[in-house]
Amino acid sequence: MNPKAASKKRKAITRDVEEEAGVFSGDELSQDNLDGALSDNANELSESEDESDDSDFEVVDDFSDSEDGEEELDSDEIPSDTEEDRKPAPGEPNVRIVKDANGNDRYLYDEIHPDDNSEYSEADENANTIGDIPLKFYDEYPHIGYDINGKKIMRPAKGEALDALLDSIEIPKGWTGLTDPATGKPLELSQDELELIRKVQMNEVPSDGYDPYEPLVEWFSSQKEIMPLSAAPEPKRRFVPSKHEQKRVMKLVKAIREGRILPYKAPEEKDEKEEEIINYDLWADEAERPDHVMHIPAPKLPPPGYEESYHPPAEYLPDSKERKEWEQMDPEDREKDFLPNDFGSLRRVPGYESFVQEKFERCLDLYLAPRVRRSKLNIDPESLLPKLPSPEELKPFPTACATVFRGHKGRVRSVAVDPTGIWLATGGDDGTVRVWELLTGRQLWSAKLSDEDAINVVRWRPGKDAVILAAASGDDIFLAVPPIVDPEIEKASLEILDAGWGFAASKPAPSASEEGKKNNPPTWIRPSSTLLDAGVCVVIPLKYVPKSISWHRRGDYFVTVCSGASTPASVAISIHTVSKHLTQFPFRRRLKGGGPPQTAHFHPSKPILFVANQRSIRAYDLSRQLLVKILQPGARWISSFDIHPTSSSASGGDNIIVGSYDRRLLWHDLDLSQRPYKTLRYHRKAIRAVKFHPSGRYPLFADASDDGSLQIFHGSVTGDMLSNATIVPLKVLKGHKITGELGVLDIDWHPREAWCVSAGADGTCRLWM
Amino acid sequence: MSEDQIMSGASEAAQRQVRVQLTSQQEDIALPESTGPILVPTGLRRYALSTLVNNLLSSEKPIPFEFLINGTFLRTSIDEYLIDNGISAETTLEIEYVRALIPPLHIASFQHDDWVSSTDVLSTTSPAASWASGATVKKGQERLLSGSYDGLLRIWNMSSETIATSPAATEGGHTASIKATKFVSPNQIASAGLDRTVRLWKYTEDEGGFAGKIAPQLELYGHKSGIESLSVHAKSNRLLTGSSDHTVGFWSTKKADAPAAPESLLPSSARNSKRRKLNSSVSTAQRGPLSLLSGHTAPVSAAIFDAKDATVGYSASWDHSLRTWDLVTGGLVDTRTTSHSLLSLEHLPELNLLAAGTAARHITLIDPRASATTVAAMTLRGHTNAVVSLARDPHSTYGLISGSHDGTCRIWDIRSTKTDKEGVIGESVYSITRKSLEEEGKADSKRVGGEGVKVFSVCWDKTIGIVSAGEDKRIQINRGEGVLSSKA
Repeated sequence: MNPKAASKKRKAITRDVEEEAGVFSGDELSQDNLDGALSDNANELSESEDESDDSDFEVVDDFSDSEDGEEELDSDEIPSDTEEDRKPAPGEPNVRIVKDANGNDRYLYDEIHPDDNSEYSEADENANTIGDIPLKFYDEYPHIGYDINGKKIMRPAKGEALDALLDSIEIPKGWTGLTDPATGKPLELSQDELELIRKVQMNEVPSDGYDPYEPLVEWFSSQKEIMPLSAAPEPKRRFVPSKHEQKRVMKLVKAIREGRILPYKAPEEKDEKEEEIINYDLWADEAERPDHVMHIPAPKLPPPGYEESYHPPAEYLPDSKERKEWEQMDPEDREKDFLPNDFGSLRRVPGYESFVQEKFERCLDLYLAPRVRRSKLNIDPESLLPKLPSPEELKPFPTACATVFRGHKGRVRSVAVDPTGIWLATGGDDGTVRVWELLTGRQLWSAKLSDEDAINVVRWRPGKDAVILAAASGDDIFLAVPPIVDPEIEKASLEILDAGWGFAASKPAPSASEEGKKNNPPTWIRPSSTLLDAGVCVVIPLKYVPKSISWHRRGDYFVTVCSGASTPASVAISIHTVSKHLTQFPFRRRLKGGGPPQTAHFHPSKPILFVANQRSIRAYDLSRQLLVKILQPGARWISSFDIHPTSSSASGGDNIIVGSYDRRLLWHDLDLSQRPYKTLRYHRKAIRAVKFHPSGRYPLFADASDDGSLQIFHGSVTGDMLSNATIVPLKVLKGHKITGELGVLDIDWHPREAWCVSAGADGTCRLWM
Repeated sequence: MSEDQIMSGASEAAQRQVRVQLTSQQEDIALPESTGPILVPTGLRRYALSTLVNNLLSSEKPIPFEFLINGTFLRTSIDEYLIDNGISAETTLEIEYVRALIPPLHIASFQHDDWVSSTDVLSTTSPAASWASGATVKKGQERLLSGSYDGLLRIWNMSSETIATSPAATEGGHTASIKATKFVSPNQIASAGLDRTVRLWKYTEDEGGFAGKIAPQLELYGHKSGIESLSVHAKSNRLLTGSSDHTVGFWSTKKADAPAAPESLLPSSARNSKRRKLNSSVSTAQRGPLSLLSGHTAPVSAAIFDAKDATVGYSASWDHSLRTWDLVTGGLVDTRTTSHSLLSLEHLPELNLLAAGTAARHITLIDPRASATTVAAMTLRGHTNAVVSLARDPHSTYGLISGSHDGTCRIWDIRSTKTDKEGVIGESVYSITRKSLEEEGKADSKRVGGEGVKVFSVCWDKTIGIVSAGEDKRIQINRGEGVLSSKA
């Protein structure tokens, strides 16, 4: 048996013994044995511990538990036994009682080793050792005592002698009498240093600017700060238990003890109540269904990629340009409804911002989802629109302002391009009629017809054989030959105007009875000499204000309408014959319904006169003196109308456009209906004038409105009776300023080109080409 | 085939390079035949290319060049051009170079009392001087002629002094606005206007050249409406006018040649109203037209002689047509109908093209020859209002200047074109705005319809430069700085 095994065996035995001893024997015995056993086997114990089974440990535990703390303490202190002799535990009296030779107790005090902490200091070697005797004993000697080595301590120099000495020495400022060890020179202290030393001596804080009496900042006060200095949670030691709560708790405890409160209720009772609210699981019975037209399974979403990560790789992050592009895109057009965003860490990820919105949209989807199968008509909405040619194909039409005619003071009320297309005549509020060079905007002729009244309308006589301009101002109509034409035409024009003088003279003078009648036709008179010089040849004095002039195609007749409400119905519409200087009033009575007449036009080819009052347009056959047709455009107040120039010649029927003050532009096909074929409402304000392009070459028409704009339309009429007119809006021409609620007052077309001229309330006319 | 490697810098050496073949149609600046394709960095721009060509030509004085690639002026670097046009850098680029047109600078403006409708120049290089038989024009004695809406002709020297003014209406002058005027010779002037007459004037100048006199010589009656344009062929003493009465007038400047004036058109035969008090106190010989060529159905806006053959006349009209006339017989030779009203006309003889300015804001180039298949060979776009005046570039057969109612004159090089869906489209090289607009501090502001700044007439002379007249009551002279020196 090797020693190890033997010791092991012994140990086991001792243990057993110990156990038994612990139970049966006294403390001392077991203590001694134990001490020895443990100290002997100290090395082996650590080794054997690995091998020993659990029961061994349990035994030990049991044992140690049963023992008092005394033994433990002993065993712990075994290694430090030797030290205990030298060094007493703090607080223990540093005295040992030793038997002396006589057998008496002898108190041996430990030597005191004053360490750094000790209050004892080493004796000053130079201290006076004379003890407690008065110093005056040494008055006679030069010394005052002895130091610890027995050397004399010499008496320090007395005040007087010192003073005398000091007085005899001149001390430099800051002299200390010390030597600076660093330099070897006398150490001199500056004032600041001296002050510093003083402060040190006075136990003050030596640094400058320190205020010892600063007001106290109460960092830690009873007040609760919004931002506390420390983020540490309140320590538990500050917790002051509430007495009230204690009472309540105690009450509860008491109640529980007495069984009045049962802390764990039986859960069965709850279930019965909750059964009343039934939560449905929509997808509970969801089963795989085969693919079908009416069943579209939810698409399987791909697993989220890097982009969806809260911390995607840098290449997935959009740069500022991409971000901007994404933000500017319409939400519906976006490829993804989110932008990859780097939050750095998961805890920085904010709440889902569009949570509420998304929830709302989902609910909306569910709400709006059709519950009935609906068969949807799959028609391209484009195909329902009429096929209109694009404006590009319908060129030319006026697109831009080419010339501005500036000169009129106040509004320009009327504008007309002469039949040759070289000149433009305008009339305005300033009472002047002006003729301009059309292309350059140069004023060629101006005549002031009236000082008070505005020129309401100017119209050129159609036909190229003569140049005659009719203008209405106040109650009068003026026929003028502007001095801009060559002598031959001027002569011809004058002849046309002058021919009637003789006819008028030869006419029998009106009888007295006729003279008394109200609707006595006016006689044409010669103008005043100033007007004659200006070029005016004939004046027709009507008694009421004519607002519209319209020439017959042949240039011998023109019709004027006095649209004022006070005008008697019998004289409101008058037809003037230039060759006879004759004015006739064809209508005796008021037109039935629709208020006073507004404007009138001759049919371009047939002997038909169209008269518009506020709500209807009537067509009268002049040769048969019959009412042919009544049109009801449906407008509340007709401002103007125009007859298609090729009406009845190219096509079977007449086409008329009507503009109204209630913002409507109406196209009438006379053969179709007395109601408008088309109603165009594109203007914001009243339409003042409408006009067809006079030549058949361009199927254009235009309107002028108080909103300051002109609109150009394509309106082609075909000879085919079955096909309707094509109307295409082409262009809105803006440029006229709105002045006093009025925009564009009149419009006219160039006789050949697709150019139009507008008269504006801002005092300008504009040529658009 | 020699290949020159042009390394203009270590940094550019790494760049892409492209092979270019530099050509020129002008003999004096053409590269020697041996110069083959050159490898150049694609980063080069016009200036660098210009320097390169100057180096190759080893010209003493650098000549600025412009570069045309496929009919387009190079305005970017070659690289950008290649990318824009999708051309591979491996192809050989055909680059044609021409003398650069230096931007025309404003030289002077001469203020008038009224709108200036027409202008002409008299200088050593002007057509009037070349036709001069007796008097010649001295260098430095250039004269400007202007016809104004107030009915007066004015002769200016180059230091903005009026040397002579035509007499007023009562003394034999125009009774209405002048619309066109031209020097026939250094001492004869023709003018026409809204008073339906063409007037010939004798212009005399005193020795110092500081004063002159315009005396009425001949009045030509025949048109029944305002005359819009006037063209002169002094060698054959013929005038061509276009009038609003739809006719083209063909006149002689010789009193002896001209037939008698039609009685009905003389002012004395007009109505006996007392407001006809403009009867001139000076009696001038009155004559009629050699012929009135009718055929147009709308006002004739321009009538010109063929630049090579004075027996051929061209006229442009508002009726959209351009007509060729045989002036000897007075017969209509050809009619070319376009789609817009034509307002001005100029002949480019070397290219056999007629440039016509339209009311639709562009210039149409028309080949008048019978063999031409298409009506419009090319369209020059850029103006924003009617183009009412055209003039040839005296330096280049490809150059053209146009004056428009939008208040600008534009210089065109018809080589600088691109092909569009509407055909061949040209773009202007330079645009000259009115100085009056700049002086008002509204150079950038756009006038609606060119109001107040419309250009009515433009004239381009080798010596004087570009002279334009307009609604701002000025004639304005612009000149390309250095153009003269490089051509001298």
